[in-house]
Parts: sequence; structure tokens; C-alpha cells
Amino acid sequence: MLKTLSLIFILSFSFTPVIAQENAENGKALFETNCVSCHKLDKPSIGPKLRKIRSKYEDEWLLKWIKNNVEFRKSGDERAITTYEENNQAAMNIFANLTDADVLDILAYTDTEPEVAEGPAVSSEPTFFNNYTKYLLMIVALVLLITFLILFRIFKELRTLRRKQEAEANGVTYEQAAQSWWSKNKEKFIIVNPTITVLAGVTGFAALIFVPWFFWFGINKVGVQQGYAPEQPIAYSHKLHAGELGIDCQYCHSTASYSKSASIPSLNTCMNCHKGVQGTEADGDNINPEIAKIYAALDYNPEGKPGEQYGPNRKAVKWVRIHNLPDLAYFNHSQHVKVGGLQCQECHGPIQDMEKVYQFSSLQMGWCIDCHRSKKIDVENNNYYEKLHASVKKKLNSVDSAEYKKQYFKDGKIVITPSMNGGLECAKCHY
Amino acid sequence: MTENKKYWKGEEDLVRDPSFIHSAKNEFSEGLPLEEVLSEDDFELSSNRRDFLKMFGFSVTAVALAACNKAPVRKAIPYLVKPNDVTPGVPNYYSSTCGYTGMPIEVKVREGRPIKVDGNGRCATFGGALSVAGQAGIFDLYDNERIKKPLRKGVDSDWATVDKEITTLLTKISAANGRIALVSNSIHSPSTLAVIEDLKTKYPTVEHINYDPISYHGLIEGNNLSFGKSVIPSYHFDKAKVIVSFGADFLGDWLTAEKFTKDYTSKRMPGDDMSQHIHFESNMSLTGSNADIRYPMQNKNQGMLLISLYNEIAKVTGSKQMAVAGQADVAGQGVSKTAKALIAAKGNSLVVCGSNNPQYQVIVNAINMALGNYASTININNPVNLYTGNDETFNSFVTDLTAGKIDGVLFYGANPVYSHPNGAQIKKALKSNVKLSVSSSISLDETSNSCQFVTPDHHYLESWCDYQPVGSTFTLGQPTISPVFDTRQMQESLLTWAGAIDAYSENTMKDNGIYGQEHSVSPFYNYIKSKWSVTDKEFNTYLHDGFVIKDTPTISVPGMIANTDEIASEIEKSKSAADGIEITLIEKTGMLGGVLSNNPLVQELPDPISKVTWHNYIALSKMNAVRLGINDNDVVNITVGETKMVLPAIVQPGQANGTASIHLGFGRTVAGKVAKGRGENAYALIQAGAKFNSYVVNGAKVEKTSTGETYELARTQTHHHIEGRDIVRETTLEDYKKDNRAGNRYEKPELVSLWYDHDYRKAGAPNHLWGMAIDMNKCTGCAACIVSCSIENNVPVVGEVEVRRRREMHWLRIDRYFTFNNVKDVNYKEELDAVSKMVPENFEPKKLTREKALEAIDRKLAKDENAGYEHFENVSVVHQPMMCQHCGSAPCETVCPVLATTHSTEGLNQMTYNRCIGTKYCGNNCPYKVRRFNWFRYNDNSAFDFHFSNDLGKMVINPDVTVRTRGVMEKCSFCVQRIQSAKLTAKRENRSLEDGDVKTACQKACPADAIVFGDLHDKESEVTKLFHNERGFAVLEELNVKPSVRYMTKVRNI
Repeated sequence: MLKTLSLIFILSFSFTPVIAQENAENGKALFETNCVSCHKLDKPSIGPKLRKIRSKYEDEWLLKWIKNNVEFRKSGDERAITTYEENNQAAMNIFANLTDADVLDILAYTDTEPEVAEGPAVSSEPTFFNNYTKYLLMIVALVLLITFLILFRIFKELRTLRRKQEAEANGVTYEQAAQSWWSKNKEKFIIVNPTITVLAGVTGFAALIFVPWFFWFGINKVGVQQGYAPEQPIAYSHKLHAGELGIDCQYCHSTASYSKSASIPSLNTCMNCHKGVQGTEADGDNINPEIAKIYAALDYNPEGKPGEQYGPNRKAVKWVRIHNLPDLAYFNHSQHVKVGGLQCQECHGPIQDMEKVYQFSSLQMGWCIDCHRSKKIDVENNNYYEKLHASVKKKLNSVDSAEYKKQYFKDGKIVITPSMNGGLECAKCHY
Repeated sequence: MTENKKYWKGEEDLVRDPSFIHSAKNEFSEGLPLEEVLSEDDFELSSNRRDFLKMFGFSVTAVALAACNKAPVRKAIPYLVKPNDVTPGVPNYYSSTCGYTGMPIEVKVREGRPIKVDGNGRCATFGGALSVAGQAGIFDLYDNERIKKPLRKGVDSDWATVDKEITTLLTKISAANGRIALVSNSIHSPSTLAVIEDLKTKYPTVEHINYDPISYHGLIEGNNLSFGKSVIPSYHFDKAKVIVSFGADFLGDWLTAEKFTKDYTSKRMPGDDMSQHIHFESNMSLTGSNADIRYPMQNKNQGMLLISLYNEIAKVTGSKQMAVAGQADVAGQGVSKTAKALIAAKGNSLVVCGSNNPQYQVIVNAINMALGNYASTININNPVNLYTGNDETFNSFVTDLTAGKIDGVLFYGANPVYSHPNGAQIKKALKSNVKLSVSSSISLDETSNSCQFVTPDHHYLESWCDYQPVGSTFTLGQPTISPVFDTRQMQESLLTWAGAIDAYSENTMKDNGIYGQEHSVSPFYNYIKSKWSVTDKEFNTYLHDGFVIKDTPTISVPGMIANTDEIASEIEKSKSAADGIEITLIEKTGMLGGVLSNNPLVQELPDPISKVTWHNYIALSKMNAVRLGINDNDVVNITVGETKMVLPAIVQPGQANGTASIHLGFGRTVAGKVAKGRGENAYALIQAGAKFNSYVVNGAKVEKTSTGETYELARTQTHHHIEGRDIVRETTLEDYKKDNRAGNRYEKPELVSLWYDHDYRKAGAPNHLWGMAIDMNKCTGCAACIVSCSIENNVPVVGEVEVRRRREMHWLRIDRYFTFNNVKDVNYKEELDAVSKMVPENFEPKKLTREKALEAIDRKLAKDENAGYEHFENVSVVHQPMMCQHCGSAPCETVCPVLATTHSTEGLNQMTYNRCIGTKYCGNNCPYKVRRFNWFRYNDNSAFDFHFSNDLGKMVINPDVTVRTRGVMEKCSFCVQRIQSAKLTAKRENRSLEDGDVKTACQKACPADAIVFGDLHDKESEVTKLFHNERGFAVLEELNVKPSVRYMTKVRNI
């Protein structure tokens, strides 16, 4: 009874601060005014990352630390001193103005789950995880397991059958033969240590499921870099240029409509505008540091005579390549942009919203094929397809085949997808 | 005619050598080394399960680890200031001139690096022909063994130091009145010649000596003796009705062979207009292999044969005969028959001679005069300037140099230490006798290695130049890449030393544009412009076109001034009486006598006749070989006077009895790793006479080495053998005139297919259906297509060892078949009867096929010792290019377990490398044996240290074609990258695809226009017309695999 009571007491005590009304929303506001200059939720900044910080420290400790960490350290708290050491002795500000409730609100905010971003997960490294494959693999594993069990059963039955025949040939019954065999070989099968046997069984079973799972998982994701968003040497914002300023993609990626490569613009293209535009209002009279990188790369001297403004000490800008198609696949931008009339966004995603460019599509062959099956070739307006168009038209008029019409005729228009015109054949892309 | 002919690829094929049959049976000469593995001591079959688990575990772990690996970070580096005319991903084409062959070319440039060279078809003088050397020469630009900066006494130096020292020495020597020789390969560039004049003005003791390793002195001097003009005239093979050649390999390496091929084949269409080609020669040359009638001859009889031919003609025309005691002829009354043919075509014939003896050339000129050819087929007023070397001048230079009479030597490209019979003396003199020696070679060679200074020249693709290959035609060369190394064009070096460079250093391209791009202007560019004295606009037009054709000088008949009687009697007196074997020194296709011997493509190119790669050899006639007890690959000692040489031997059908031949261009001692120490230097055998250098060596002793040593030559001749099936078809013009299907009338087997015919193959389908037609009457077997294909499709070079193992990677090969000519004593009918009688009664089928019977007769002939093997010198040859036939019902596609090879709706047999797992089933199942397996990774592999294994060499790779890795099959793709690109261009330009928009690499390179490619669904296309030609046949049509390649029956004008 005493035990129970004391337990209740302890529990009620420990939950008291939690029961107090915490406001994560208020916490967010406070976080953004007070903490954000040194802390981020999911990434270490000047200070450590703060998401789920409560799992590491209890509230009482945190309250003391946040409000006046200097005092706290002076009090001789060991953990406080270690924390200070661990973070390179970077002194944290004193927040005496914050009430306990305020601090708890902030902590509540750090407890929230990260918001799920729309679109694919963004990371600076190639990722290789998705749910679809996971379920698929589980099914595959299950099927394999069932097959294994069935085979095992069949094998066992066959063995029994054979032994029966052997026993009959020796003139004894199967049971007799089995018994005499067992008495001879019993020793071998005595379970030495049941724990080991169980462990071995579990490991074996796990291996049976996970080995194929890893195998499939591995081969399917090698080299796929969807979501890849590396740091670039110049923090160029597509969101600003393509989104807010509405500059046409092909102003910079000018070769997209007549070359294999859309090409990263040469810096002299940047200079068409940035000879004049040297920064935003926020930069005041200073040259924006990112724009200054362009000037540095070109060794730009605005005072120079026309034609001699780019100096001799130029330095190449080494962008990190995001879209890496393997060498074995041939892709031509002009085929898709000029002939196919595709918008850049259909493959590259909401580029006009990207502060930092990431790989939107998986660039796997299945992804290519999907499009080749569904997009429409503009047979009516391109004379190259004249013969194809005429032939399909003729056939639609002459053949009274519902099947044919269903295939080539949709919404009163002739529809021919690349796949209907050999767009799925290997040597269209692999040579 | 084919009815009485049996074709064979080599002697082992003819006699059905058991080891050959064994190896020919398998597509791959070596199986997997299973037995070796199984016989290993620790290998137990019972441990299979464990091994399996080990492998399984390993592969799972490997894949899991690979999946966890971070992908490598790749960089993309754009231009800082993009040149206006460069678009990444789009090739630019520039007109230029091939520095090796003097032909106008078009250079394909991707992102500032040339990746392919083709002939410039707009230039009518040469018709866009480009030879093997012209195609392959681009590799030398990217040779990482080029000299990277100027050398002073073999040590790296810099231009300022070298220039200062050379100028000082030149001034000193010149002031002391010492002789300075500028030894160059023949220069036909007007501006370069002007630069040399500038040098002479500054240093009056400079003398310029032109030097050709393969000399045309005889031809030039012959014309000087005959007409007082030291020139090589223009020959017009397209105007000749009868062509007679005495040892001139005018389709192979003689003069502008690529242009001659174009002209020659234009007159080879069967019909009344078809020319007749009669060939006399000792070795079997490419030209001889194309002759309608070929007479084997010993070169020592050549003079007398020419005189006899003249006299035969004079007899008929009634002019005065040359006074000689004897008459000469070859077996089969060749001379008198030839005389008759020539007279019948009087005024429209052409006689050429490859000899370097000026006196022979005088007789040839006399024959052409007598036939009135100077009014039609020979234009002496429009000379060929490609070769101007004079043996007399050069030999006296060597004498003077050895005697210490010359104080300074400047070598401009020439490498006489290697390519002159007295090279050793030159080398010694360079080391001890001269005060100044400079060489401008691109890579270190025998001569530059002996010089004090090496001032490396640009490759021609980095240089500005103008040329005048033929009197009427000027061509321009422009750089297509920035200099790769710290090299300098020799013309600029000469201008610098002449102190004239400053006048031309002004940057005339002031208009730098708003982007501030720097145009560095070559002083020699300014120099050329100043010499041409034309407006900028005109000059740029010439540069764009690549050539200017001035008015062709009209043909006029020159007057003969030589005393032919005197010359004839001298020839008669000087006839060699030496015993022993007569050796002719010949060129290896594309090697330019050693200039391109460090080029892996040229080394790996099978010789069109012997099909030997990577080495030179002595080719003996069967008769001599049997008498000397020599077999293929036996190493033999060759002794000519004092000179000794050790080379492997081959038995060459067609080699005249009593003669032998050796390729020049091998045996380099100072060269890149590809050429160095490969074969023997046959230049040492040349006999440098007072009047001319003779490439025919008499009285050679050839014997087997005492140890019985052998050297296995890497020879492709019987690789990819097709089991004696009916592959080539041939007829005579006479028969063809009677029946256009002559030689092509075969009982068509009933064609039943397992498969339904696809819609896309049916007439009227809206898709393209690609097809190729190859005219065997035009194909000369010159191999330019093989090189072009290899460069376009990134085909790796595999090296000598791998070729020996039948693993050459060429997607396109040229099959060469021999067949016995008029074997005198064989009555085929009787023999056939005899053979049929040998068949036992119960033999099923009762009748032997005619083909099998012929094979038996030929086999008997081949082994007939009583016949003395003399008939082996008289064979004729058929060349057949063979590549993937893109079968409509392809046998390879049905056996691929992973669907890596599939068919497209455009009729292409597609090969998907990324799917291929290398079972090689397809290669086994291909009736044409055209699939190649990648046994190794040929790039970045020190075992295959050719161009693909270093960063510079890789710059020649075509970025539109995958570089294949090991373990996959590959084969001709019909240049699918070109098809796709042409289609895309048409789509972008909103038009339909025209015939001729797609030209495959082989088609573009073919100087004979023998290959035609196009859309078979286009009724008007050239290829469709050829597919309906009566001469057309598909190889192995009876298999009903529906090949997309058709060949045209060969018609001989006999």
C-alpha cells in the first residue's frame, strides 16, 4: 500500500510541469526572436540543434541553463560545465527576461515533429529509401518463405517415401527401420543448448527475410540521387531569378532548344544583368557577396575599357552537378524541349520555387518510360511526322476496328505517344 | 564464272588444315579455362555448395555496400566567357587540309577538340576522298608521347633560350660562309616556301632540300628526261578506258591514291563504259588485287617488259621500234595481249609505272606518247606537288654531310636517320660533324634524338598553313584546337630565326567583341594573309571552303626530247643477273613509310592483302617457300650484300615466283611505345644509287634460322571464317552484258519463315527501314572505312597479343578471298566427273554439290607437288566488307537470355550494352560472325596502354557513343547516333528526312563510293534502287534471316 501511494506521489510530482499549459505556438514565436540566431531545430548552428532537447536534459536543468547559464556553471553543476566544454566554450546569452512559462513554451516547440515538406525529401546527400519498395520487399520475402516451406514439406514427404521403399526392400517396416536408425543416431541430435538453437533459428529466419530485402533494396537504389541538393559555389537562387523575377529559363540555359545539353550558362551571361545589378536593397551600397563571386571569377574590372573588362586572372566556377545521367543513356534536351514541347518543370520540378536546386525526378529508366507512354507527339504540326500522321489517319478511316480506334483516337483527336512510334526501343537512348 | 571458282581466305583454309578447322569451328578461339580450374589440386566438386554460399554472401554484401556508398560528387564547369560559335553538345565543322596526305578535309570539333576527320567533298579536285592515314592521323594529335616543350641537348628548355642559341649559331655559320641545309619532307605550301626564302635572305648559305622517305624521284626525273619538265603529271583514271600499271599501287599508296580510287571506281560500273585494268607486279598489292587481269612479274624484267610493250605498240602504229636484242614477255603472252588492249583504246588509255628508275619512266612516257594519252588521260601542265624529293640531291647531301662539308642542318619533319639507307652515317655526322643541328619533329624520332635542338612543331590540326597539292588547287589549313603542348609551328620558328617574326606579330583581330575574348593571332596566319594579298572577306571565304581552284591548265602534248633508243639499250645492259630472291620494299597501308608508325589504329589495321597486323614480315611466293622449306611464321634470315635482317615469313598467294616483299615503316628505334622495336627497318635494304634509290633489291638470300625459331604474326585473315559457303559472287563483263543476272543466278531456296513478317517491314509502312548496299565492283578493300568506323564508334585497340587470340574489336572488317586463276592443266569438267565417280553408291545425297567437288579439286591443286606450286602466284582477289547485317529475323536476338539485343521498328538490330551480361550466345549464333566480345576493359588499363588509357588520348572519344566496358558484346550499329541526330535535326527543322541526311561513318569515308546507306521505305532513295539492282544479292540469303545489307556482284572486265 505504501509502495502504491509513494508511486502515485512520485508520478504526480514528476508530471506536474507537463500538466501546466504549454503553448508550442508561443514557443515558436519566442524561439524565432530569441534563439534562432544561434540555434536551429534540426541542424547544429553556432549552438547545438534543439529538436527533442528534452530527451537529453530534464526541464529543471534546462530552465536553469537557459535563464542564466553563467550562474549555473558557477554553481558548480557538473553537467553544465561539460555542456559548455562540449560546445567549444561558446558562451550562451543570459535570458533573465524569460519566465519559466516562456521557457517551457519554447521547449514545447522543440518537442514538435518536423513539418513534412511537400515534394520529395530534400537532402544534401543521395537518399535511397522509400515505402513502396519496403512493402514490395516484404511481400517478396513472404512469398519466398511460403515457397520454402512448401518445398521443405515436399522434400520431407519424398524422403519418407524413399525410406519406406528402402525399408521394405530390407524386409522390415518403415517404423522399425526408423526406430533402429534413431537409436543409432540419437546422440547426434541431442540439443546441447536450447538457447543457441533458438537464437540460430531466429537469426536464420531474419536472414531469410532481410538478405533478399537488402539485395533488392541495394540494387534498386544504386546511383539514384533523387532529392540531391548539394551546396553550390555560388548560392544562386532559382526562386529569385526564375520565380520572382520571372526570367525565362532559356535566357540562361540558352542551348536547351538546340543542343543535347541545356548547359550551365557561362558567366558572361550573368554579367548581362549583373554589370548593373550589384545586390538587393538589403545589401545597401555593398556588392552582394554572391555577385562578388562572379566578379572575382571573371576578374572583372568595371573601370576597364569595353572589351577589356575581364582580366587575365579568371577562375573557373566549379558547380556541383546534380543531374547525373549514366553514360550509357543518351538524352537530348532539344528533342524534348523543342520537338516535344515540354516545360522544364515537367522533369526538373518547381524550379521557380527552389532556393537551392535539388533533383526532383528519380531519372530512373522507369520514370523515362512512363512519360514515353503517356505524352503525345505533335504529329499534326511537325512535317517530319507527315507520313506517320497520314498513315494513321488513313487507317482510322478505312479500318473499322474499335481496338485500333481506341488506341489512336482520343477526345476526337489522333493520339500517338512516343511508345507507339518506337519510343521504347533500346537504341533510341542506348548506343 | 563463279561456277568454276572456289574461294579461299588463306592456304590453311584451302588445304583444310586440321588445326584451322578446329579453330574455325568455334566463334571464340579459346573456351573458358574450365579444365584448368577443375584440375587444380585444392578444387573439389563436393565443395560447390559452400562456394555458392560464399559467392552469394559476397555479392549480397557487395551490393549492400555499394548501395550505402555516397555517389561521387561530379563537377560541371561552364565557360567563363563562352565563344560565340561554340555550343556545348553541338559539333562544329571546319574546313582544313590534312597535313599528312595534303587532302582537303572537314574536321568535326566538339567543345573545342577535333574528334573526327573526313574528306571535304566540296573540293572537286579530290572529290572528298581521304585515306587511312588521313583518317587515323587525328590520333597523333592526342599522343601523350609528343614532345611537350623545346629540347636543348635532350633536356627540356624554353623557346627564348633555344631561339637565341640557334640564331647565334646560324649567324656565325653563315658569316663564316658555312653551308646550312634545311632538310624537309616535300613542301607544297607556297607560304612555307616563302618563309624558307626569307630564311635564305637572312642566311645566304641556307639550301633547302626536299626529302621523301618513299621517293618519287624516278617519276619526276623520268619526265625531266622525256620532256624537260621535272614534275609529276596529273593522271585521270576516270578518263581511261584501259589502265595498265607496272607495279604502281595507285589504289593503295601511290601518289594521291585516294583520289585515284575515286576516279578509277567511277569507271567501274558494268556496262559499255567500264574500264579495263591490267596489272603487272611482283608483290600482291591492293591495286593488283582489284585488277581485271593481273600478270605476276619479276621487277628485274620490268624494263624489258616495258620496252617489249612499246615495241608491240610501235609495230601496230608503224612507228620506230626501240633497238634491243631480246623480247620479253610474261606467262600468258601478257605483253602482247596488253598491247592489243591498249591499241584498241588508243587515246583513252593510261600506262603508269611504280618504279623509281627514271629510265623505266621514260619508256612509260614513250608508250603513253605513242598511245596519244597526253591529250586525254595525263595532264603534264597541272603537276602534282605532293612529292618533290630528289634522290641525287639528297644522296649528295649525305655525302657532303659525312665529309664534314656541312656546318648546320635544320630538319623540318624529315626523319632520314630512320628512313634513309645511310641513316647510320647521317646520325654519326650529326653527332660529330656539324656545328648546329635542329629538328622540328612532333614526337621524338631517330633524327631528332641525334640533334642538338628539338623545336617541336604543331600537329597540323593546331597549325595555320596553305598548300598547293596540285598546280591548279590551293587549300588552306586552319587550327581546330589550341596547341596542346608548348610547341610552335616550324614556319614561326623559321620566321623567328630569320628575324622576320616581328613584322607579322601584330594582333590583326582587334575586334575583340563585347565579351573581351582574347584572340591570339598566329604570326603565320598574318604571313599567309600577306602573301595571298586578298581582302579579309575573300580570305575568310577561302578559309570557310578550305580550298580555291584556279583555272586548270589545259592539256597539251609535250615534245619527247629523250633518246629512247639509248635508254632502252642501257636498260637492256643493266638488267640484274643476280641470283637469289628479288625483294620489293612496299608501303604498309596508312603508315606513310613510318610517319604514322606510332599510331595504334594504323598498327592494328589488317593489311588489305596479307591481313597481318602489328608487325612486318617477308612475303614469299609459295614456290619459293616450299623450296626453302619455309612455312608461315617461320623466322628467316635475310641477307643482301652486307645487310642482314631477321623477320618472320608468310606465304603470300599472288607473290610472283622468285620474289618477296617487305613492308617499310617498322623497326623504329626511337619512337613512342606503340612503334618502338616493332618489326625490322627495311629501309636499310634500299640501294642508294648515284642516280636513284632502288626499292627493288636483287640477289637476296633467304633462309630459315638454324634454331627453327617462329614468330606468331597477329593475322586476321582466317578469323571469322564462313565455312566455304557461297559468300561472294562474281562474273565477267561479257556474261553480264548478255545477262544482267550473270553470276547471280542461284537457285533460290524456298524461303519459309518461322516468324510473321513485322508490319514495319512491309512496304508503305510510315517508319524508316534502314538498309545498306555495298558495291563489290567498286570496293577496292582500301580499309579507310575500318578506320573511320573505329574512330566514330570508339572501337578500342586491343594490341598484338589479343589479335593473335582472334579478339580484334573492329566492327567492320574486309574479307579478302583468293581464287586460282586459269590453272593451266586443270580441266574442271573432267575433274568434276572424276570426283563424282568417287562418291560411293549408297552416299546420300547421291550427288556431291558442285561446290564441294570444286573444293576437292582445289584442295588437290593446293597439295599437288608435281605442279611445283607455281600456280600460287596467279590468283585473283575479291574484297568484301562485312559488318552486322541487321537481319530482319536476326538469329542473335532469339538466343539472348536477357534481351540485350533486340530489333527496332526501323530495322536496326540494337545492342544494349547495359543489359548485356556477356553470355556470348549471340556471337555464337551469328552466321556472319560480326559480333565482337569485350574481353577486357580497354580503357584505363595499363595492359592496353593505347590512346584510351590516358587523359589526352581520350579526348578523341566520340561523346555521343558509349565507351563499352568488359564483358559485353558489341557490333556495328549502322551508326545509330548519326541516324538519331539526323532525325532530330529534321524534326527541329520541321521537315521530313531526306535521302542522304544520314551517312554512316564507313560510307562517308569510302573513297570509292561503294557503300550506300538509306531508308528502304523511301522509294526514291539510292539504296532502294540498289536493292532492286539485278546484281544485288544478300550473303547467305538461304538462311532467310533477311539481312538489311545487300552486295552487288563483282564484274570483271576480262
